[in-house]
Amino acid sequence: MQRLGDFRLPPFFNYPPYFTLQPVRETREKQVQLWKDLILDYCRSQKIYIISLEEDFPLFSNPKIERSLSHEAKEVFLAALVNEGRAEWMDKGHKKCLILWLRIQDWANYILNFVKDNGLEDNVMTVEEIRSGIETRGTELAGIDRGVLMRALKLLEQKGKAAIFKGTSADDEGVKFSA
Amino acid sequence: MRRRPGIAGLQNAAATRDQFRLVGENVAKVRTDVMKEQLATFRTQLEEFARKHKNDIRKNPLFRQQFHEMCAKVGVDPLASNKGAWAELLGIGDFYYELGVQIVDICIATRSTNGGLIDLLDLRKLLCQKRKADLGSLTADDCLRAISKLKVLGSGFEVISVGKKKLVRSVPTELNKDHNGILELAQAEGFVTVEQVERKFSWSTGRAIDVLETLLKEGLAMIDDGHRDGKRRYWFPCVTLSSDSTGAEAKS
Repeated sequence: MQRLGDFRLPPFFNYPPYFTLQPVRETREKQVQLWKDLILDYCRSQKIYIISLEEDFPLFSNPKIERSLSHEAKEVFLAALVNEGRAEWMDKGHKKCLILWLRIQDWANYILNFVKDNGLEDNVMTVEEIRSGIETRGTELAGIDRGVLMRALKLLEQKGKAAIFKGTSADDEGVKFSA
Repeated sequence: MRRRPGIAGLQNAAATRDQFRLVGENVAKVRTDVMKEQLATFRTQLEEFARKHKNDIRKNPLFRQQFHEMCAKVGVDPLASNKGAWAELLGIGDFYYELGVQIVDICIATRSTNGGLIDLLDLRKLLCQKRKADLGSLTADDCLRAISKLKVLGSGFEVISVGKKKLVRSVPTELNKDHNGILELAQAEGFVTVEQVERKFSWSTGRAIDVLETLLKEGLAMIDDGHRDGKRRYWFPCVTLSSDSTGAEAKS
């Protein structure tokens, strides 16, 4: 089994034709499905939120079999994720892509469970604390993308589960959770 | 002795006939009884055999094969029907029906990767994963028997020989000689190029491309334009993908 860091790569990653966009519909669908799953799994395990199509991304080339994805192929696979709501283009030129291995809604639920499990109801936490504090260490929240976190918190605010306080600078925004 | 006419003579004759009939009936009865007894003995023997060896039949591939040879010798097909003494007692039918269902499962699950053509060895490996058994417990012979039973479903399950390999086809695509030739050629490296095909079969470029495109459309081939020599390769998952890769996909 080939590895990328501590990530176990699926066997199709070593099969050269999966790096060429397949012209036949059914084969293409299978190919896209495999890549979608792989991108989400990889980003989740490595806590990657943003894929830039202009830069090298380890998942998009396999030196062992000397194959790499064309720009078109990358865009097709990411667009398939975008269609499913598991990714968003960050610019009109489709150069950067935000990967949502948890949807915003799922992130909101995750935060809510985290708050409940740790008895943090009615407590105040800063956004930075959530991203890099001791409490969230070892959870999926550690190192979460700021934009994603803010959107999840705003969703909680809309539901009346949290209140966001503006600080004097962007760094000290705080949030108070309610049960 | 002169036969005297009269009532007594007639009665005598009737009595003799009755006697003969009785004896005849007796003989017939004895014969049936013997037959019945033999059948009963045969049945108990079979039951005993089944009780003793049911596990062997299910678990031991060599025993299974010998059992089939024995059945063939006495002219019995234990798989002909699931009713009747053989199947009921031995449960041998169940073994193959179960296997058949698992084969269909795997063929359908892997169809999008291999286009409905799977190497018999890969199929066996996947079956063993599914059954949580080791490869030795399931012979190619078992698979072939189960597949031959699937033919009654008319869904086009068939085993074809391509070169050294046996492939199981689960789609109604008819493969002609051209297709088979290419599949055989692909066994060497897992792929072929248009040039290789032309050279090997002395075909025109048009014919080679035509056949390859057909295989591509059927989902049996995948193209690969990524090699640095720039030549398009046609890969055939049914002859190259090892079972662990298709296995992972079959599960998802």
